[in-house]
Amino acid sequence: AVAAPVEIKFSHVVAENTPKGQMALKFKELVEARLPGKVEVKVFPNSQLFGDNKVLEAMLLGDVQMAAPSLSKFQKYTKKLQIFDLPFLFKDMDAVERFQNGPEGQELLGSLRKKGLVGLGYLHNGMKQLSASQPLKTPADAAGKKFRIMTSDVLQAQFEAVDAVPLKKPFSEVFTLLQTKAIDGQENTWSNIFSKKFFEVQPYITESNHGVLDYLVVTSAEFWMGLDDDLKAEIQKALNEAIKYGNGIAAEKADSDKQKIIASKRSEVLELTDAERAQWVEAMRPVWKQFESEIGADQIKAAEAANN
Amino acid sequence: MTIAVLFFVLFACMFMGMPIAVALGLSSVTTILLFSNDSLASIALKLFEATSEHYTLLAIPFFILSSAFLSTGGVAKRLINFAVDSVGHIRGGLAMASVMACMLFAAVSGSSPATVAAIGTIVIAGMVRAGYPQAFAAGVIANAGTLGILIPPSIVMLVYAAATEVSASRMFMAGFIPGLMMGLILMVAIYIVARIKGLPSQPFPGFRALAKSGLIALGGLMLIIIVLGSIYGGIASPTEAAAVAAVYGYLIAVMGYRDIGPLKNVPWRHEGEALPKAVVRNTVQMLLAFPKSSFDPEVRKTILDAAKVSMMLLFIIANAMLFAHVLTTERIPHTIAEQIIAWGLPAWGFLIVMNILLLIAGNFMEPSAILLIMAPILFPIATQLGIDPIHLGIIMVVNMEIGMLTPPVGLNLFVTAGITGQNMVWVIKACLPWLCLLLGFLMLITYVPQISLFLPEYIDHLKGY
Amino acid sequence: MVRNLVTKLEEGFLSLLLVSMTLLVFAEVVARFGFNAGIHWAQEVTLLIAAWFVLFGASYGVKVGAHIGVDVFVKMLPSGPHRFFTLLAVALCLVYCGLFLYGSWIYLSKMKMIGIELEDLPVPKWIPMTILVIGFVLLIVRFLQLGWKVVTRQADGFHFADEAEESMELANELKETAIGSDAANNDQPKENKK
Ligand code: NA
Ligand code: NA
Repeated sequence: AVAAPVEIKFSHVVAENTPKGQMALKFKELVEARLPGKVEVKVFPNSQLFGDNKVLEAMLLGDVQMAAPSLSKFQKYTKKLQIFDLPFLFKDMDAVERFQNGPEGQELLGSLRKKGLVGLGYLHNGMKQLSASQPLKTPADAAGKKFRIMTSDVLQAQFEAVDAVPLKKPFSEVFTLLQTKAIDGQENTWSNIFSKKFFEVQPYITESNHGVLDYLVVTSAEFWMGLDDDLKAEIQKALNEAIKYGNGIAAEKADSDKQKIIASKRSEVLELTDAERAQWVEAMRPVWKQFESEIGADQIKAAEAANN
Repeated sequence: MTIAVLFFVLFACMFMGMPIAVALGLSSVTTILLFSNDSLASIALKLFEATSEHYTLLAIPFFILSSAFLSTGGVAKRLINFAVDSVGHIRGGLAMASVMACMLFAAVSGSSPATVAAIGTIVIAGMVRAGYPQAFAAGVIANAGTLGILIPPSIVMLVYAAATEVSASRMFMAGFIPGLMMGLILMVAIYIVARIKGLPSQPFPGFRALAKSGLIALGGLMLIIIVLGSIYGGIASPTEAAAVAAVYGYLIAVMGYRDIGPLKNVPWRHEGEALPKAVVRNTVQMLLAFPKSSFDPEVRKTILDAAKVSMMLLFIIANAMLFAHVLTTERIPHTIAEQIIAWGLPAWGFLIVMNILLLIAGNFMEPSAILLIMAPILFPIATQLGIDPIHLGIIMVVNMEIGMLTPPVGLNLFVTAGITGQNMVWVIKACLPWLCLLLGFLMLITYVPQISLFLPEYIDHLKGY
Repeated sequence: MVRNLVTKLEEGFLSLLLVSMTLLVFAEVVARFGFNAGIHWAQEVTLLIAAWFVLFGASYGVKVGAHIGVDVFVKMLPSGPHRFFTLLAVALCLVYCGLFLYGSWIYLSKMKMIGIELEDLPVPKWIPMTILVIGFVLLIVRFLQLGWKVVTRQADGFHFADEAEESMELANELKETAIGSDAANNDQPKENKK
């Protein structure tokens, strides 16, 4: 008898034309071409199946096989991945890439095992920038201002380090709150600032590159262990190629979205001098120490080393 | 096949008299069990997600709570007095004033039947005494009451915003001009009828009296300023503004007007009381009134009533989200959309089909339920045809207004029958001429998108977006 | 006596949930606008209270007939078929509860096994989720009671106290207070002189 194909439901929260959406479709294309009749991939974009807060639970229940939430979403599953939220740890995306592909980065993929999840690979979104209703040049400019953050202890500490007020608000409310200046600013990648139209309501964007916003492609350990080894290898290979493809799009998009924002003239992009940048680094650096015991000093050292 | 089962189970359950929430949930679960390999655990997860991950929806209980405090009686009466003083001297003025009172009350309440009840009770009797035919009075109020969901704030708009993820504050802005317009159309129609039939008018009370009644009604009118002001003044998001409105509703009803609660019948100033003494006494009494409120039977009943209605609505919404989840995972809206697009209907043709569909649904179902079922299906088609999501929302809201007046299920009909003590057939006949007006208005709203879009776009333009 | 106490507790708890949700969001606005500060756990707690409010309230809603539905069709039937369909509907409601209870139990057990905490509070995540199980157990109890009432002819349906009826209550209250003072007239109402 012919066994029914393995079904992989890939659930994500963004549109199909984004790097993540494109990566998921590429993965489907590659897997179904190479493993015809053996594996079937169904992609559900736009939170059609589950939102980012529930998708990992649904995965543990066996109803979703793959997802790619942002790395901050894992803080209750492991403290180790908080390393990616640390401010000014990585100088640019190349450094992020070097760290992720190095032994320490690969080791982190296994850090979710105890909670029943397996990391399969990192997918880029890009470096984060600071946007606000007032120009932000030095940490003093941020003092007393209200910034929207994703739920993350590190990000909270990061803004508290410059005496700013971190606020958690659901994504659905952020645009209005920024528009009416009930919240002063937020941090995000170029492509998010562009696609969520934040640049229309935030007159100043500081090109700070102060952090990284990446995704982790995960699956459940139960599902993954249940696959034949050669099937597993084939899927992993296809995924790696799809991620590479997605990362390529992400890099291009970060650049072109930045240009579109500048061209729109709705938002002024501010660059930091070396001296100004040093002030930010100095102000936020203590956050590393604060989380060192949870993340591991070796990991942080390895990440720093990836900058060179 | 999936579509057939889903809708068959839904309608069978509903027509058996099951609560709509359970009918939606059960039809979704049945479909999932029959046609997909999702587990029951993940459906429970989905329900928990629907109740605990939708912050924007919380505006619904908050506005209902605020409306509950404002509906306690005093606010409605004060708004009516103000309205009568403003337009009562025009021919047919009392009827026009009633429409104006409905518009004012609509601007603080999110619900249409509440508007009919609060205003209708007092003004229908008043109009009859002033020489108006009862059917005329009842028809005017039942219709003007529907403005409760068109003039912001509006529970129905919040439900639409939640179902389609458009901005709630833009929806509110979009409802403003259509709401005023419908009110004016009703007034003009009343004026014409009044000229023909020679209906009475009141004497003008003078500007002093007008200013005074305006001042007295200010406590209620302030809510409009508080809600819109806090959203556009950078204080709160729409959801948060609703919570602020609820707290304000409590303060104005219990501490300000003192219509209910521990301070009921306690005057702001006793006759001959010295001002400093009154200030001290009021401060102490009000501070004590906060803890006392939690034991006060009237305050408790108001909160419990609000809790009942909002819990019921949120439970329907949670189950409707399961239903929408099944719709999308089974790609049902896509299938229907492809079908309709295959007909090759232009936008105007689609709008006719949509209006008919919504009017039929409006006969049998309650607005929130209709929106939650229909919006996910109609929204993608409309977007493809280039119809603005905000415009689509206003068309749907106006359809829901009409649904309140069509038998067999029409909330405003029920309330009007209750107030007047007449039977349903009598009420339906009384509403009919005005209903035609509303249908004409629907055509206007459907084919002149600028009526809905002007204000939100103008405000965006003002702010330079 | 006991029944009365249960009702009081249910009503008190439900109201408390609504009020605390409202005040929490209000407090966030005051903190942000008035004191330039955030309440970092407010959002998560508000949303969890909302889940409790809905899932706990659903059973109370059955008890007081607050859920809305379409009963015009069954009401047109003669009493025999009317009772039959009502009982069938109650039975189907119990099926609904049973399926969800089963699913909730598995979901909850899995969450307990994994043992993660809430995002902003040091509380195991499965604890607030118990409302799923509690809620559906209570709902089953209420539907069983309703079914029994229909069997013993104390009730003939879900008795929807819909929005129209709620509004009628309000209308009646207003009518009572309006007696004596012709509010639609131009006289300033008496209470303004207080
Ligand atoms: Na309204
Ligand atoms: Na109707």
